[in-house]
Amino acid sequence: MVATQDALLAQMRRGTLQYCVLSLLADEERYGFDLVRGLAVSDGMVTSEGTIYPLLSRLRRDGLVESTWQESPTGPPRRYYRLTDAGRAALEGFRLEWRRFRDAVDHFVERTT
Amino acid sequence: MAAKVDKLVSDYLKRLNGELRGLPRARRRELVDEISEHIAEARAGLESENEAAIRTLLDRLGDPEEIAAEARERFGLAPRKVGWKEVGALIMLPIGGVILPVLGWFIGIVLLWVSDAWSTRDKLVGTLLFPGGLLLPLALGVMAEESSGCGTIVNPQLSPQPIGSNCPPADGTGAWEVALVVMLVLVPLVTTVYLARRMRRASSATA
Repeated sequence: MVATQDALLAQMRRGTLQYCVLSLLADEERYGFDLVRGLAVSDGMVTSEGTIYPLLSRLRRDGLVESTWQESPTGPPRRYYRLTDAGRAALEGFRLEWRRFRDAVDHFVERTT
Repeated sequence: MAAKVDKLVSDYLKRLNGELRGLPRARRRELVDEISEHIAEARAGLESENEAAIRTLLDRLGDPEEIAAEARERFGLAPRKVGWKEVGALIMLPIGGVILPVLGWFIGIVLLWVSDAWSTRDKLVGTLLFPGGLLLPLALGVMAEESSGCGTIVNPQLSPQPIGSNCPPADGTGAWEVALVVMLVLVPLVTTVYLARRMRRASSATA
């Protein structure tokens, strides 16, 4: 039972992680390191920081985020990420779906007898 | 201290690059670059760059195998199977010299060093133990038989049966030579098994 629970959690995390990333970018553009540390703040969201980078790469390829290089005060230029219009739309869409799903699951799982 | 820390980082990045085998070259380079920058940023933020801090940093980043598995998953690639270079090296090193004298083993060496599935240390092990692979004991065995030139003695006029043999009698020195040949056979085989186990593979953890 434990094994399948772990697998389920991993799957849920993987499926939702990209929307957490998109959401972090909703208000401002951020660079990779900053994003990664921002995600790590929330317990249970990220097991290994390095795995965010393949995700970012994929989001870029899918056109949900775009990146630009900007000079950094400390050292080499940084790659900054920001949402595209498609990214914004995807995030909005997910928000609606997530609320519905979360409420549905809560309805059963969060029942108090 | 700085040298050790730099080595930890460069080893990590080398491992990461190796684990990313199979991904499109651009993706691979991009990921290594980004993670390299991440490490640089993290280091800049450290109060003191001691070994413990760097190790913690790399731990938080995660195992290169895990990152590569995630990359494969995100880009819809199947978990990496063993590549042809590695299979080639593992075949040609022990028996390449037998199939195609000298050149065959050499091909194995080239494949071994060109592949990024092994650390430099492992590659040295594979090269030095044992040069020629199984060709050497095989050649020694053949040479030994020919040089002794022994065989059975036959005098057809007396009888069609062999009447004796001029092979040197088995004694202590013969056993020593056998032990040597056995060792020369075992070492390349054991080395091949060692290399096979030390090969960096993609994890099957994504499945």
